[in-house]
Amino acid sequence: MLMTPPTLWLVVLFILPLILMAVFSFRAGSFAPERDQFTLDTYREYFSNPAYLRRLGQSGWIALQTSALSIPFAYPLAYFLAFRAGPMRVTLLTVLIVPAWTSYLLRILAWKIILGSNGALATFLLSTGLMQEAAPVLLYSPTAVIVTLVYSWIPFVTLPIFSALERIDKRLLEAAADLGCAPWEAFLRVTLPLSLPGVIGGFFFVFIPTLGEWVTPTLVGGVQGIMYGNLIQDQFVRALNWPMGSLMSLVMLTVVLILTVLFSRVGRISDLAGA
Amino acid sequence: MKTQPARLQLLSVLLLGAVALAACSGPAQPTAVTVPTAAAQLNNSLTLVEWSGYELPEFWPAFAAQHANIAPDYKFFVEDAEAYTIVESGFDYDLVHPCTNYWQLYVDAKLIQPIDTSRLTNWSGIRPELAKLGQFNGQQYFVPWDWGFESILYRTDKVTTPPKSWADLWNPEYAGHISLYDCGECNYIATALSLGFDPWNVTPEQDAQIKQKLIELKPSLLNYWADFTEINSLIASGDVWVAANVWNDAYKSAVDEGLAVDYITPTEGRLGWVCGYALSANSQNVDLAYDYLDALIAPDAMAYLSNEYAYGAANVKALELTDPTFIELFSLDDPSILDQTIFYRPLTEAQREAFTGAWSEIKAAP
Repeated sequence: MLMTPPTLWLVVLFILPLILMAVFSFRAGSFAPERDQFTLDTYREYFSNPAYLRRLGQSGWIALQTSALSIPFAYPLAYFLAFRAGPMRVTLLTVLIVPAWTSYLLRILAWKIILGSNGALATFLLSTGLMQEAAPVLLYSPTAVIVTLVYSWIPFVTLPIFSALERIDKRLLEAAADLGCAPWEAFLRVTLPLSLPGVIGGFFFVFIPTLGEWVTPTLVGGVQGIMYGNLIQDQFVRALNWPMGSLMSLVMLTVVLILTVLFSRVGRISDLAGA
Repeated sequence: MKTQPARLQLLSVLLLGAVALAACSGPAQPTAVTVPTAAAQLNNSLTLVEWSGYELPEFWPAFAAQHANIAPDYKFFVEDAEAYTIVESGFDYDLVHPCTNYWQLYVDAKLIQPIDTSRLTNWSGIRPELAKLGQFNGQQYFVPWDWGFESILYRTDKVTTPPKSWADLWNPEYAGHISLYDCGECNYIATALSLGFDPWNVTPEQDAQIKQKLIELKPSLLNYWADFTEINSLIASGDVWVAANVWNDAYKSAVDEGLAVDYITPTEGRLGWVCGYALSANSQNVDLAYDYLDALIAPDAMAYLSNEYAYGAANVKALELTDPTFIELFSLDDPSILDQTIFYRPLTEAQREAFTGAWSEIKAAP
């Protein structure tokens, strides 16, 4: 009974790897013979260096800003699509998504060009005299990471908000108008509250993957924009310290799980699924 | 009209899925690809764990002439660490091409077997300084092949005080325009040299000083460069004035592009890297492997490496076939050039862990 395909999927592709990762965090090394010994040294090392947790906190802050900034861009788009676009909306929705079909890497690199010292932004600032010497604008900073990520996440945030707005019974708005509500009042008291599950959904769609992001910071983050995901990647790919990489991932996973529980309390996932 | 919202919802779900897929596939690790052929099963093939870009037939013309019916199989990697992981996991291969930092690990884990250099007709040309690095327990385990410098490259038109030593990376004049190579071992060793320490023999106090020094440098850095194209374009655009641990090829292309650059010999010395081939302990194709190795170290193959990739050749006889401007650029005909270079030494697992661990702490630090 329990071994239905979804359960099997979850066990094989999620639970088992998680257990393997948890076990690996206790191993003494990545390779034999250390691999077969168990120790708490990795845990001691991790928790004795506050830089790791601080970097996780900083990544959380970047993720928070990214998600929060995506919403004001995505909401008007979703609103327009849901209430104003009429028969055009399928086309417009596709247009919105089309850039996301090109390689993610390509779009980050495009931002690197825009923000670079010979880029559009620097050229503009130079021509207006706001900048004296060609230099990268924002590039290689946490801000560059946020700008790039907000850009790439906007479609992700638009869709759940759109879907929430779509489901609003239009008669409620008519009723609000009949009862003397000004349009802005109807928006604040009817539309916005009813679309909140979509907003919260969009927020977490962005927040959780951004927390573990490493490609964008590698390319545009410079030294200060390094995120926690970069540290994990370094442990696995360069340092070959799999126990430390596993532990770092576990800590992040725990944080994400706690946030997801909070999210499901606040946002009630079932609302979003359109049940 | 009723069907419209349902269709829209379906569409948005599909689109969201597509976006998710696109997002996931974008940053995928460049994973190694191998195409096992039927021949591999018949013990009449050769499998290499190799850097991508090093499979060119120009690197083994003698092997191709000798074994026209055999096409070597390659499993590519992009990091030394990745190669070690592939080999350690039990992958069936004949030759592997790591660099000095990792050599000791292969020997200690008994993944490779000693090389009988008398079977290599071109061995006599191999520079003895490089061959020595590949010796462990009195036996030759690695055939050195490609080598190069790691030093500081700077824009002569952007700085007023030229850097003279590794310690000059901390010169405040360059603040905001410095790029370090994203390589823990490299920065650790260069910093140890700048402080006058023996990088391969540091005390805990010295270790703490090295970390502190690198953390202090962080506000002055523009970024960490990860590959040749990246640092090359950063130097060309003028965003980076001083780049550390840059290789020969970056200097050569900057010169070819006509940029005002200089590649210094720091007072502590230039660093040098060496990579080489080792024979798998379980190789079933030892004879073929020797033929391939001999073809690799032939002067013409090695000269092709210098001329095309701007790296040094382990075989000194390749110099006769090498572009003279390249030789001059790096003083490769100076007999003492290797003695002046501080080559990366094979690291023990403990050293490697210490260096990479330190780098992770430095990167995490605010």
